[in-house]
Amino acid sequence: MSEMANTDPEGIDAVRMTWNVWPRTKVEASKCVIPLAATIAPIRPHPDIPTLPYAPLRCRTCSAALNAFARVDFVAKIWICPFCYQRNHFPPHYAMISETNLPCELYPQYTTVQYTLQPDPNNPSSAPQLPPVFVFVLDACMIEEELEFVKSAMKQAIGLLPENALVGVVSFGTQAHVHELGFSDMSKVYVFRGNKEITKEQVLEQLGLGAAGRRPTAGYPKGLQNGFTNTGVNRFLLPASDCEFTLNSLLDELQTDQWPVQAGHRASRCTGVALSVAAGLLGACLPGTGARIVALVGGPCTEGPGTIVSKDLSEPVRSHKDLDKDAAPYFKKAVKFYDSLAKQLVSQGHVLDLFASALDQVGVAEMKVAVERTGGLVVLAESFGHSVFKDSFKRVFKDGEQTLGLCFNGTLEINCSKDIKIQGVIGPCTSLEKKGPNVADTVIGEGNTTAWKMCGLDKSTCFTVLFDVSSTDKSNAPGVANPQLYLQFLTSYQDPEGKTMLRVTTVTRQWVDSAVSSEELIQGFDQETAAVVMARITSLKMEMEEGFDATRWLDRNLIRLCSKFGNYRKDDPSSFTLNPCFSLFPQFMFNLRRSQFVQVFNNSPDETAYFRMLLNRENITNAAVMIQPSLISYSFNSLPQPALLDVASISADRILLLDSYFSIVIFHGMTIAQWRNMGYQNQPEHQAFAQLLQAPQDDAQMIIRERFPVPRLVVCDQHGSQARFLLAKLNPSATYNNANEMAAGSDVIFTDDVSLQVFFEHLQRLAVQS
Amino acid sequence: MATPMPSGVPRQPPPQTDNPNFQQKQESLPDDLQKWNPNKPSPFPGSAPTLPPLVRPPPSSSTSAPSQPNSRPGAPPPLVVPGPNVPPNVGSVRPFGPPNGPPSPFRSPSGPPSPFGPPSGPPSPFGTRPPPGSLPSSMGGGPVISPRGSGAPGPGGRPGAFGSSSRNGPPVGVPPPMMVTGRSPGPAPSMGPFVGSPQASPKPGPPTQSAPPFSAPLAAPFGTQTWAPGQVAPPTAAPNAAVQPPRMFGMPPPQPNQPLPAIDQTGASLEDARKINSNQIPRPTTSYSKIQYDTRQGNQANIPPPASCDYIVKDTGNCSPRYMRCTIHQVPCTADLLTNCGMELALMVQPLAPLHPSEEPIPVVDFGEGGPIRCSRCKGYINPFMRFTDHGRQFICNFCGCVGSTPHEYQCNLGPDGRRRDADERPELCRGTVEFVATKDYMMRDPMPAVYFFLIDVSMNAIRTGATAAACAAISQVIADLPEGPRTMLGIATFDSTVHFYNLKRVLHQPLMLIVPDVHDVYIPLETDVVVQLSECRKHIEQLLESIPTMFQDNSTAESAFVAAIKAAFLAIKSSGGKLLVFQSVLPSVGMIALSARDAEGRGNISAGEKEPHKPLQPADKALKTMAIEFAECQVCVDVFTTTQTYVDIASISVIPGTTGGQVYYYYPFSSISDPVKLYNDLRWNITRPQGFEAVMRVRCSQGIDVKEYHGNFCKRIPTDVDLPGIDSDKAIVVTLKHDDKLQDGSECAFQCALLYTTVYGQRRIRVSTLSLPCTRNITNLFRATDLDAQFVCSLKQVANEIPFTPLLQIREQVTNICINKLLAYRKFCTTATTSGQFILPEALKLLPLYTLALTKSTGLQTDVKIDDRSFWINYVSHISTPSAVCLVLPQMIAVHNLDFDKQEENGSAIPPVLPLSSEFVSEEGIYLLENGVNGLIYIGSLVDSNIVRQLFGFSTVEETPTQFALQQYDNPLSKKLNDVVNEIRHQRCSYLRWTLCRKGDASGALFFSYLIEDATPKDGPSYSEFLAHLHRSIQAKMS
Repeated sequence: MSEMANTDPEGIDAVRMTWNVWPRTKVEASKCVIPLAATIAPIRPHPDIPTLPYAPLRCRTCSAALNAFARVDFVAKIWICPFCYQRNHFPPHYAMISETNLPCELYPQYTTVQYTLQPDPNNPSSAPQLPPVFVFVLDACMIEEELEFVKSAMKQAIGLLPENALVGVVSFGTQAHVHELGFSDMSKVYVFRGNKEITKEQVLEQLGLGAAGRRPTAGYPKGLQNGFTNTGVNRFLLPASDCEFTLNSLLDELQTDQWPVQAGHRASRCTGVALSVAAGLLGACLPGTGARIVALVGGPCTEGPGTIVSKDLSEPVRSHKDLDKDAAPYFKKAVKFYDSLAKQLVSQGHVLDLFASALDQVGVAEMKVAVERTGGLVVLAESFGHSVFKDSFKRVFKDGEQTLGLCFNGTLEINCSKDIKIQGVIGPCTSLEKKGPNVADTVIGEGNTTAWKMCGLDKSTCFTVLFDVSSTDKSNAPGVANPQLYLQFLTSYQDPEGKTMLRVTTVTRQWVDSAVSSEELIQGFDQETAAVVMARITSLKMEMEEGFDATRWLDRNLIRLCSKFGNYRKDDPSSFTLNPCFSLFPQFMFNLRRSQFVQVFNNSPDETAYFRMLLNRENITNAAVMIQPSLISYSFNSLPQPALLDVASISADRILLLDSYFSIVIFHGMTIAQWRNMGYQNQPEHQAFAQLLQAPQDDAQMIIRERFPVPRLVVCDQHGSQARFLLAKLNPSATYNNANEMAAGSDVIFTDDVSLQVFFEHLQRLAVQS
Repeated sequence: MATPMPSGVPRQPPPQTDNPNFQQKQESLPDDLQKWNPNKPSPFPGSAPTLPPLVRPPPSSSTSAPSQPNSRPGAPPPLVVPGPNVPPNVGSVRPFGPPNGPPSPFRSPSGPPSPFGPPSGPPSPFGTRPPPGSLPSSMGGGPVISPRGSGAPGPGGRPGAFGSSSRNGPPVGVPPPMMVTGRSPGPAPSMGPFVGSPQASPKPGPPTQSAPPFSAPLAAPFGTQTWAPGQVAPPTAAPNAAVQPPRMFGMPPPQPNQPLPAIDQTGASLEDARKINSNQIPRPTTSYSKIQYDTRQGNQANIPPPASCDYIVKDTGNCSPRYMRCTIHQVPCTADLLTNCGMELALMVQPLAPLHPSEEPIPVVDFGEGGPIRCSRCKGYINPFMRFTDHGRQFICNFCGCVGSTPHEYQCNLGPDGRRRDADERPELCRGTVEFVATKDYMMRDPMPAVYFFLIDVSMNAIRTGATAAACAAISQVIADLPEGPRTMLGIATFDSTVHFYNLKRVLHQPLMLIVPDVHDVYIPLETDVVVQLSECRKHIEQLLESIPTMFQDNSTAESAFVAAIKAAFLAIKSSGGKLLVFQSVLPSVGMIALSARDAEGRGNISAGEKEPHKPLQPADKALKTMAIEFAECQVCVDVFTTTQTYVDIASISVIPGTTGGQVYYYYPFSSISDPVKLYNDLRWNITRPQGFEAVMRVRCSQGIDVKEYHGNFCKRIPTDVDLPGIDSDKAIVVTLKHDDKLQDGSECAFQCALLYTTVYGQRRIRVSTLSLPCTRNITNLFRATDLDAQFVCSLKQVANEIPFTPLLQIREQVTNICINKLLAYRKFCTTATTSGQFILPEALKLLPLYTLALTKSTGLQTDVKIDDRSFWINYVSHISTPSAVCLVLPQMIAVHNLDFDKQEENGSAIPPVLPLSSEFVSEEGIYLLENGVNGLIYIGSLVDSNIVRQLFGFSTVEETPTQFALQQYDNPLSKKLNDVVNEIRHQRCSYLRWTLCRKGDASGALFFSYLIEDATPKDGPSYSEFLAHLHRSIQAKMS
C-alpha cells in the first residue's frame, strides 16, 4: 500500500463508513447529502485476526453470529443477539464459559474473527482440498508476435500453477477450440462454431459430458481422484503436473487463427462462444469447485453472440458518443449475452478473469458485467508484450508474499440492526436475492438481498454497502432505543488451499439525533470514503440512468453539503468557511468531476469500464488515488514531499512522481532532463544527482510491486509528448489565458477547464445562496 | 488385408483369344459384314440366301412341329439345322414369294426369326449344338454356317434386302421376326415370313415393291448396291433394316421358332407347359467370339449386337451402342404406332462407357477459341448428319432443321455426293462420338481440381467389425492410384457421434484432430488445410490412415452421425466440389436427419398386403433430398460404401449418392475376412475408372421427338439438362422419348447426347454422341428392330422406381403385363394370319419371357428380401448400364468342378459354357459358380469329390467350408483355372464380386437356389415353362 495507508484507517475490521455516526431518521439521513455507506474488504488479512477451528454460534432467529457485542448471561448460559435481541442458549460445549473464560469471539478487541469450517460430509461441494481449476481461453486472432507473448506468458503461468490445479485450454478465433489434453494419440480439439449461441447443456453434450457421458461407470469412480465424479471432465481438465508437457507442446503448435481475414476486415473472433464453451466445460465440474476462466483477449468479438462490432473495418468500435446516441447496434445485445453468461457462471460459482490487450477496444465494456459479477480480475493493456499485462498476469499465479490471495466461492451476508435497510452493494459480486426485513425498497447496485455471491475475491477486494435508515421520529422515541447500531458482515469462502473459511466482522456505531446537533455528525464524516462512495455512485448512475448529468449531480450535492455543513452568512460568499472534517471534500469533488470516471468522453467505453471496475473493487485509499492522484516532488533541496496537484508544482529542477493508480508518471523538469541527457548521473562527482534520479524510480517500483493490476509506468520529461499523462491530472491553475502571470520554469496547460480556484469561488457563491 | 489384392476390378484388355476360330471369323467377317445387308428384303431371288438362316428354323419346325405339337418347333437345334435346312427353306421361301406373298409373310413370321437367330446363335443349351464358338461365327456367315451360308447366304444372302425396302416408302423390308409355333402354319409359313417381305401389311404395295427389290429396285434406292440377284453381294450400303443382322448377334439360340412352346389354345394348360422340354426353351447363349460391328453401313444405321456380348465397334457415323442404345433401332413415325407396339421408345445413355481395348479411342477435336460449331437455334453440335449446302457455306441442322451459315474458316467444298470433301478427315463429320475441347464459354469457373474426401465411420461397431481398418487400408493403398500432380486434393475425416476432421497440412510432426461436435448443425473446423494437396502431405495422410484404427480402438460410441458427417465433409469441399467417399457401418442415429430402424417396425409379418410394407423403401426424410440437391449444386459427388452387419436404411442413405451421381456399395454382412479385398478393389475401380466431374448432360432429338424424362443418378434442376457432379464409365442414364409430332417415313431421326464435363486432369471437354436412326411406319419393322436388352433395362429401371411406392404383387403383375402386351401387340399386328393356338415370339424378343420371369424373381421383386437388400438393388439398378443390368437379373452360372483346360482354349475364352439357371443343371457332385456382377456364389454340391474341394478351396470337406472366404490360388491346375475364370469374370464385369460359398441345407444354399430363376418357387412364382404357358394363355385370352 502506499504510504498514505500506513495509518491503516480501516483497522482490524477493514470497514470504513461515510458517516461514523448515524442520523436516526430517514429525513435526517437524507439531509446529510452523502449517503450512509460502508466499505468493507471482507477478507483483507490482518495480523490480529484470530482464526478459530470451529463453527460460530448463530442466532436462532436472525442467524447472526455470536460476537463481541452480544450480551452474555454467564449464569443462565444465554447470549442476547444484538441485532434482534433474541435470547439464545449456549450449546453444551460452551458450558465452560464464564466472565474469565471467554471464547475468542467474545473478546471485545476481536470484532473480526475467522472460523475454519469443517467440511460437511453430506455436501460434496464442500469437500476439502478441491483443487482449483483454471481454464485458459486464448485468443488466436493476433499477429504472430502478440501470440508469442501470450504463449510465453501462458507457459510461465503454467509453471507457477499449483501441481494439483486442473488446467484446461480453449483457444478461439473464427471458431472455439476446446483442447482435449487427455488424448495422447494426437492433438485433439473440439471445434465449436463461432457464430452460434450455445447453451451449457449443448456444450456438455457435445463434449461428451452430457447426461449420457456422465453416467457413472459402476464401481469405478475414476474421477474421484480429482474430486470429480465425472470422468469425462478429466479428458479436458488435467492436473498441471500431468499435462505440463502436453500444454507446452500445445502452445508450441498453436497457430494464429487459420481462417482467412478479408482485406479491410477485422479478424473473426468468437469471444462470446469461447467463453460460453469454457463456462459450459466448467459446468461439468461440481458447483462449488473453485474455478476460473482466464480469458486472454486480443481484440473485439466480431462473430456470434457477444459481438461488439462488425467485421468491417470501416465501422469503428462504438464510442461513448455512440452509446449515448444509441448508435451502437451491437451493444445491448452483447451486454445481454454477457449478462446471461454471468448468471451461468455465478450459478456455477465460477470466475471470469479478463486480460485484454489491444490497441483498440476489445469489448471490456460489454464483458464488464460478467467479470464484475463473478468477481473476476481484469487487466487492460495495449499489448501482451507490455509490462502491464506481463507482470499482472504473472502475479495472478505467483505464490508467496505478493500473492493476490485468490479465493473462490465467497458469500457475503450482512446483518444489521433494526431500522437499517440495505439498498445494495457496489462491487464485484452478485445479489443472491435473499430477502429479509433489512432489505430496502430502493435498490442501488446489487440489491434486494442480504446475501451476495462472490465467485472470486482476493484479499484486497472491497465492497461498498449502501444503507438507508427507515425509522421515523415517532417510532423511535429517544431514550428507548439502543444508542448503538450494529452491522455484521459474514463472509464465507474457499481459500487458495481449498479450505472453507468464514469471517465474521461485527461493527458498531452510534446513533445520533442530528436534528438536535450536527456537530457529532460532522465529526463522524469520513471525507475520503465519502468521495469514493460518491464516485462509485456516480459511475453507477452514469451507467444505469439514461441522460444522467453527473457533473450537475455532483455539483448539486456538493453545494447542498456545503450549504448544510458550512459556516457562512447568507448570500455572503466571502464569509464561507468549512469545518476541517469537510475541507478536503470539495477538492475531491473537483478532481472527480475532471476524472476519467465522469469525463468519459476522453476515454473509450472499454477504458471507462475498466476504470470503474477497479474503482469499485479497490480499497478507499487506492480509490481515492484514482480520483485524486498523489503527487510527490523530488528536488535537491529537500526530502521528497507531497506537492500540490497543480500545474504550479512543475519546476525545471524538480522530478515529480504522479500516482494516478492506473499509471505512474515520473516527470523530469527541463533542467533535470538536460542534465540527465548529458550523463551527469554517471559521473562520480554528481552522485547526488544520480540519487535524485533514482529516488522516484525506487518509489515507483515500490508502488508497482504492491499493485494489481500493475500500473503503467511513464517516464517523461517536461515538454515531452508523454508529459500529457501528468498534465492531464493537474489543476489547470495556469492556462494560456493567464500564462503571462506564471513563474519561469513552470508550465501551462492548454485547456479551458476551470481551475480549482474558480471552482471554489463558484461553490462558495452558490453554497451561501439563500 | 494380408491376402494380396487381385487387381480384379480395373478393366484390362481382355486376353486376346488366339482361338483359331476366332481368327477366322475376324477375317471372314469383315467381308461378310460388309456385304451383308441385313435389311435387304428378300427382294432378290437371292433373298433366298438371306432366308437360309430363317429357313432353318422353319424346316426344323416344320418337321418337328407337326410331329410334336407340344414341343416347340424351335426345339430342333436351330443352329444345327440351319445348314441343312437352308436349302429347303430357301426353296420354299421363294415360292412363297417373300416378296409378293403378303399372305405368306404372315405365316412366315415363325420362320424368319431363325435367320436372325442363327447368327447370334450359340444356343448353348442344346447339347447337340456345335460348340458355342462356332455359333457366333454364324452371324457373320461364320464358319459354321458356312456350308449353308456359302451356298445361299453369301453376301447377297443377307437380309439386307429389307433395308432397301424400307427406303422405299413402306418399309418393305423388315421381316417380322416371329415364330410361329402353330403347326398349322407349319414350316412353310415361317420360312416365307422372315424373308422379310413380312411386312405384315397386307398392302398390295409391299408385295409389288418387294418383288422389284429383288431384281433392280433395291439397287435403285441404294445407289451403291450392286448385286446379282442370285448371289447377292450387297454392297456396303446396308439397308436400314439392319434389324436382322443384329439379331444375329443376339445370343438367342438360333432356334428356329423361338420359344414356341406350342400350346394348343385349348390345351393351354399347365400340364402342357410342363411337358415342354426345357431344353427347347429359348435361352441366352454365350458367344465367345468377338463381333465386329460397324455403327453404320451403306449410310444406314446398323443394328447393334446385344449389349451383353463381346463386340468391337467401329464408329462409322453413328455413335457406338455403348454410349447410346435405343430401345428400338427404328423410330416409329407416330405416337400411335409406338403405342400399338406396346414398347417404349427410350435411349440408354452411358456417356463415358468404357471402350473395348480394340476400339479406336474417341477423337478429340479442338476448335480453338470459337468452340465447336453448333446450330444457332437448338444448339445441337456439329455431327455427321448435318447437311452442308450452298457449296458448304451453309449447313442444315439435323435436329431442328435450321439453316446456319458455316463459319468462314470452317468452310469446305462439297463433293459430288453432297458430303464435304474433308468429311473423312474431320472426326466430327464422320464419327458418331467425338470429344470437343471446351472453351471459356463452357466454364462458369476454372475446371475444378480432382478433390477426394474420405469419410470413415469409427463408431464402435465399425471398429469392432474391422470395417474401419479395412477402409483405412483400402484408402491407403488407393492413394497411389489417384491422379498425380498438384491439382489432386485430398481430405480425410472420421465420424461417430461427432465428426472428426484432420488438419493435415501442419508443418508439425503430426496431424491435428479437429472435432465438430455439433451434429445438428455442422460446420467445418478450418477453411484450409482440411483438404490438402496430396503431393505435399502424403506422409501425414499415410500416418493418419495408419493410426485411425488404433486411435479409436477403444471407442465406445455406438452412435453414428452419418448425415451430419456427410454434410460437414461437403462443406469442406464445397468451394471446389469433388468426390466424397463415405465408409459407413451403422444406422445414422444421431444428429441431423437421424434415422430410425424402420426395418423393425412391423417386423414379424411382412406378409403381402400389410399396410404399406414398401414404406421403408422410401427415404425417411425429405430433407435428405434437399441436402443432396445442395451437394449437387456444388458439384459434390457422394459414394457410400456400406460395410455393415445391420440395417442401415439404404433407402434413405441412397438418396444422396442417387442425386449426386454417385452410388452405394453394400457389404452385408460385412466380413473382415473376405470383404476388405473387395472393398479395396471397389474403391480402386471407383477412383481409376474413366470419369468426369461437374458434368452437365443433355440429349437433343430431331424435330418430332422430344425427351420425356431422364432416369438415373443425377440432379435435375432445369427440365432439359441433368447435372452430374460425378459421372463415370459405369453410370447409365435412361432417356425416355415421346413424340410431339409425326415423323416422316424414310427420314432419319437423330439423337445427340452432349456431356460437358471436367476430366480428372482438369480439362473441360464436351463429349458428343450422335445416333441417327431411320423412321418407319411399319410395326413389323419395329419389332424386328427391337433391342431386347435396352427394352429390358428400360423397364427394369422403371420397375425399380416403382418398387418403393407400389405393392410388390402389383408390380410383378405389371411386369408380366408389359411382357404380355408386347407379345400381344406382335401377335395382333404382325402375325394375324396365324391361328390363335400358337404362341409366337418375335425373334428379337424371344428372350423377353425369360427376362421378365427373371425380373419378377429378382431381388427387387422377391418376397422375402431384407429391406436394405431391396433398397440397394433399387439404387444399383438406377444407374446400372445395360450389360450389367442383364446379368444382374439373369446371372451366369458355370460349372467349375470340371474345368476343362483344352476345351476352353479352343473357345478363346477362359469361361466355360453358361448353364441354364435351373436346378436341373445343378448336380450335387459338382461345383458351380454363379455371378450377377455384384455377388459371386460358389455352390459346392454335397457329393463333391473332397479332393476337388481341397484343390480349389483348401478345405478337406464340404462341411468345413465357411460361408465367407477369400478366394485363393493354390498350387494346382484346377485352382489356377478357377482363378483364371474368376478373374476373367471380374474383368468382364468390372467388378470384383462378393464371394460366398454355398452348400446345401443351409441359408447359403437357399440363397444359391434362389438365383435359379427357371425353377418354380412357392413364393416367387412359376418355373420358366409354366410362365411361358401363362403368357400364352393370357395372350390368347386377350386375343379372343
